[in-house]
Parts: sequence; structure tokens; C-alpha cells
Amino acid sequence: MSVIAEHGGIAEHIHPEPQGFVRKYVFSLDHKIIGIQYIITAFVFFVLAGCLAEIIRIQLMHANGGFVTANTYDEVYSIHGSAMVWLVIIPMLTGGFGNFVMPVQLGARDVAFPWLNMISFWLFPVAGLMLFSSFLMGAPVAGWTEYPPMSLQGGAGTSMWCAAIFLVGVSSTLTGINFLVTILKMRAPGMTFTRMPLFCWGQLATAPLLMIATTALAAALAALFMERQFGVPFYDPTKGGSPVLWQHMFWFYSHPAVYIMILPAFGIMSEVISVFSRKPVFGYRMIAFSSAAIALAGFMVWAHHMFTSGIAPYMQLPFMVLTFAIAVPTGIKIFSWLATMWGGKIHLTTSMLFALGFLVLFTFGGISGVFLAAIPFDLHVHGTYFIPAHLHFVLVGGSLMGIFSGMYYWFPKMTGRYLSEFWGRVHFALFVIGFLGTFLPMHWLGAEGMPRRVASYDPQFQWVNQLESIFSFIMTAAILIFFVNMLYCIRNGKKAGHNPWGARTLEWQIPSPPPYYNFKHIPSVFGLPYDFTEPLPYTHLEDELTDAPVTVGAQ
Amino acid sequence: MAVVSIPGGGEVDQLYADTRELRLQGFLLFLVSDVVLFSSFIFAYLYLRNSGQGWPPPGIARPPISLAALNSAILFGSGATMHYALENFKRGNFLRYSSLMLWTILLGILFLCGQGIEYTTLYFQDHVSWAGSGIFGASFFTLTGMHGFHVFCGICYLVVLLLQSVHGVYDKNKYFGLTAGTLYWHFVDVIWVVLFSIFYLI
Repeated sequence: MSVIAEHGGIAEHIHPEPQGFVRKYVFSLDHKIIGIQYIITAFVFFVLAGCLAEIIRIQLMHANGGFVTANTYDEVYSIHGSAMVWLVIIPMLTGGFGNFVMPVQLGARDVAFPWLNMISFWLFPVAGLMLFSSFLMGAPVAGWTEYPPMSLQGGAGTSMWCAAIFLVGVSSTLTGINFLVTILKMRAPGMTFTRMPLFCWGQLATAPLLMIATTALAAALAALFMERQFGVPFYDPTKGGSPVLWQHMFWFYSHPAVYIMILPAFGIMSEVISVFSRKPVFGYRMIAFSSAAIALAGFMVWAHHMFTSGIAPYMQLPFMVLTFAIAVPTGIKIFSWLATMWGGKIHLTTSMLFALGFLVLFTFGGISGVFLAAIPFDLHVHGTYFIPAHLHFVLVGGSLMGIFSGMYYWFPKMTGRYLSEFWGRVHFALFVIGFLGTFLPMHWLGAEGMPRRVASYDPQFQWVNQLESIFSFIMTAAILIFFVNMLYCIRNGKKAGHNPWGARTLEWQIPSPPPYYNFKHIPSVFGLPYDFTEPLPYTHLEDELTDAPVTVGAQ
Repeated sequence: MAVVSIPGGGEVDQLYADTRELRLQGFLLFLVSDVVLFSSFIFAYLYLRNSGQGWPPPGIARPPISLAALNSAILFGSGATMHYALENFKRGNFLRYSSLMLWTILLGILFLCGQGIEYTTLYFQDHVSWAGSGIFGASFFTLTGMHGFHVFCGICYLVVLLLQSVHGVYDKNKYFGLTAGTLYWHFVDVIWVVLFSIFYLI
């Protein structure tokens, strides 16, 4: 491929295209390859953490447990939660989709710091292996939140857990810095903030959270590690430390982390719903700014996780009110998407089905979140199955449905081939049935007072738990279908062409899979990408699908 | 490669001008995340300090302010020499630049020595240790130690920068590495201002 040098520009991040296998697919600097590496790695960890989930469900089939010992059960749910949060959902949505889609949507040739991007990625599988290896030395048993003093006891695996999460946190922080600079500085000419696709707005709101919140977690983890390994007293109350300190530091990270896990999924929703309704996004600015509002408010609500931890009553009330307030920008998004669909020409593709599922299930989880923000209700259900019910509705019904929707939507861009729509529908139907059967009854169990994180329970709840376990097998079957669908369609799927959905964002205007340089000429942008009745708001794209040489530099 | 002029009158190629902006912003964001790291530990310290035993906790004397004040003066002095080193480099005054850089490195090492003296006094005379003296030892040694580690990294970075500039990596118009080094060194200074106030003054 010949390259003509013109005058330079901000998109001038040109490295010669690598030729060897290792440089091209292993230690790649290309944001698209790195994005796919993230997605594959995260799916591998998803399978492992999913197996742990099934161990939990099999154990709960009988009120007395018996499938694994109580201690192993504790290890299993601790690693299940940690892996799903840090090794699956966060890397998938930020490192995976963020890397693959965001630079192309901005009209850039790569992220701001390709080397840093590669380092971020390679820290992630290492951290994942460390996390799972903690099983070999006595895995953590205090849940994914690892509250001291329980996390101060236990085997060496808890220290390994600290190190693994610290490492994946470094990876997240570097990704956040990289993405923020990319969005601030690498947009194509004319791509103002108010012309950016909403997926990029989702990433723009997420990047500061990744950068700032994750560092706070790093401090908390470092202190826990020092206390466990060297006896430095931060959290042990018998030596003057405070277990509540950990809760403050942990939730100062982990509440924003909730938004790290959902804001990019909101971005995917905005793209998918607009494209498959063939209508401009309703309230573009409101959706964009509500992402920023959620990110900002996310830093000021962490103590709503601690209403039962003995924090002062004068602190509880503002946290409750602020948490209620977050429902407002979230509601703005939900209603904007509904208004986007209103009167649109809705195409019920698998991707759109998952988006619709997201709207229902996430709203449900959001409403139970508002319940939990109310102090009296929270005091009643804290530590019961109501909490797993709520968090699985927002993380599985929200983030994971968003990931599935994004996979069906962008798979043709990644591989040039469709995923099977028929098996996609089967996947959707089974997944939603399994999901509702597994997690909906947990609300009732929680309200009845069944405690979470115990290996055996009151026999009167046994039939509900058995029902949930059976439905969880249906959910697992649905996910297996999804994986077989992906593996089969990478080589044998129907060819999709460069723009199978008729979408208007920049990534769909170039061939699938995108060439190494993304764009032959850096495009100029003069409008929003969502106006389906107008011509495309881009110039300089006429050569993208031809054999014309690559031009280096922006026009 | 196209050539563009930059503020101040020099000319650099476009690629450098563009990537310089990216790197500057990336570096500033890295410093922001580092500020959060320190803030978290400072929050932990203040939280524990206010948890009710009085401060310093019974049986522990405050470390003397005189040595720390002298040490602070040394560190702030190194901030000044660093600033003038960069200014001299921009003006093409390489000899003065090198000697000011050497002074900065030397003052940084002096600061670490001062901290070493303070640590050994605390440990051997007052028997205050990292793990064995409750939350005082934990927060004091963790925070000042983390800062000391940052100073140490800064010194290493400045040595690399000095060697690079001797080998002609930077010139009058292209000196992003030196900008980053200066920013980092000032950042370490500012953190020390906060640590000094919360450990010795209030």
C-alpha cells in the first residue's frame, strides 16, 4: 500500500503497517487489534467466571448445600464477582468496544498513545491469571468487596487478589488517560463535541472515572496489601485502624465503577436504537450531557453503600438525596431513547432486540436501585438477596445486554460477516427467560430476609432457589449458543459489506474489517451523524472503498 | 515533513508540534491520577487521625519540625533551580542549564538524606516503626515514604534527562522531556507542601 505524504495533522499517528504475525496480532499497536484482543480475553474470563456462577447455583439447589464446602463456596462467589466486574464488563466496554470503535468514530487513525494502549492490554490478562491463580493459595472469602477485618484473615490468596486488582486498575487508569487525550485532541476536523457520536460521549464520561476513581482503589488495595503482608495497621480496629475506612475508600472507587460499567453501554444503546429506528436521536444534547452529569454525581454518592456501617446520620441523608438525584439524568436517557423510537421505522434485528431488553431490564434494576437508596428500605434488605437481585439486573440486564447488543451490531465491522440472526434471536429469547427466572425471584427472597453469601439456608426457600438454578442453566445455554454463533460466523457467516445496517457514524463508511490506517483521507465533519434524511455529513470519504492510495495528514 | 513555527519564534516539524500537545496532556492527566493516589492516602490519614485517640496518639512524640523545615527549604530550592534550568535551556544557555540540573539532582539527594536521618532518629531513638506504632507509624511512614519514592523516581528521571540532553536529544525548540521533568518535579514539591502541613504544622 503506497502512502503519499501531504502536510501533517493531529491524526498523523502513522507507523508502517507491521508484517510479522507477532507484531501484527500479538504485540499490536493497532487500536482495532487491541480492541479485539480485549474482547477475546474478556470472553475467556467470562466463561471462567460463568462456570463459578454455575457452581454457586448448583450449591444453592439444596438448602444444606453439599456440592462444595462452605469455604470453597465463599472463594467461588468472591472470585466470581471480582472477575465479572474487573475482568469482563469493564475491559469489554472500555478496552474492547472503546478501543475498536471510538477512534474510528472520531475520524482518527489510532488512539493518542498506541504504545500505552498495548501496555494497558497486556497488563489485563496477566492480572486475570493472577486473580484466578489465587485459588491455588486460598482465594479471598469476603466477597468481591473484601471488607476487613475478614479480608485481613484468610489465605495468601487475598494478597494475590490485591495485587491482581491493583494491576488491572493500572491498566484501567492508563486506558482512561489514553482515551481522554484521544477524545480531547484527536477528533477529525469539524468533529466538535456536539457532533460526536453518543458512544464517544459515553467513553468521554467514562475515561475520567477510569482515571480518577481507579487510582483511589489502588490506594485502598495498597493499604490492604501492606496490612496483610507487613502488619501496617490501617484497617484492624484492635491496632487503631478502622474497617470503615476501607469501605469509604473502596466505594469511592466502586460506585463510580458502576458508572464505568454502564456509561459505555448507554453509548451503545444510543447508537443501536437510533440506527434501527431510522430516526435521529431524540435530545442528543440531553443524552450527552446527562452522561457527564451521571459521571460527576457518581463521585458523590459512595456512602449509600454504607448505611448499615455506622456512619453519622447527618452524612446519610445527603447521600440518600444525591443518589435519588442520579435517577434524573438516567431517566432523561431512558425517555430520550423511547422518544427516539416513537414513530420510527423500527427494525427488530438481534442487536435491537437486546437494546429493547436493556431498556426494560435496566430500568427495572434502576428502580430497585432507587429503592435501595432509601435508608429505611436499605436497612431492611442490606446483606440479603435483594442486593444480588438489584446488581444483576443492572450489570447483566444492563451492561451485559449492552455488550451483546454491541457485539451483534459491530461484529460485521470487526469481521466483515454477520452473526446468525436466527441463532441470535434464540440467544436473546433464552437469555431473557433464563435471566428473569434466575434473578427476579431473588427480590422476593431478599425481602423475605434470605442472607446473601452463605452456603446453606432456610429450607423454606429451597424451591425458589431450585427454580432459579434451573433458569440459570437456560441462561448458560443461551450464552453457549452465542459463543458457537460467534465462532462459526467468524469464517462462515453471511458476508456483510461495509455498512450492513445503513448506519451513519464514521466507522460504517470504511471497509469491513477496517484497513490498518482506518481512513485513506482524514474526513471533515459538518453535522451530527444521526439525521437519516440528509446526505452524510462528511467530506473526503469518496475514496474509502476504492483502491486509491492512503493520504497521510488531515485536509 | 511540513514545518510549522511555534510560539517564541522557533520552527519544528508538524509531527512534533502535534504529538507534543498530546504528550503534554497525557502527562498532566497522569499527574492528576497521581494526585488522587496521594489524596486517598491523605484522606485515610486524616480519617484515622480523627478517629478519637487524640493526635499524636498517646506515647508518641511528634517528629521535630526543625529538620523537616530545613528539608522543605532544600526541596523548594531544588524547585527553583529546576525552573531556571529549563529557562536557561530554552535560551540556549547549555552550560548554565547543566549546572542547574546538577544542583537540582544534588538537592534532591540531600532531601532524601534528610528524610533518612529523620527516619533513623524516629526508629532508633523514639522507637516509632511502620508496622508497630499503630496508625501514627502507618500513615507517617506510608505517606512520607511514598513521597520519598516519588522524589527518588524524579531524581532518576532528571539524571536520564541530563544524559539525554548531553547527547543532544533535545534542542532549543524540542524539549518536551524537560518540560515533563520540570512539571513532575514541581508536582513533587506541591505534594510536599501538603504533607508538611498535615504532619508537622496542624
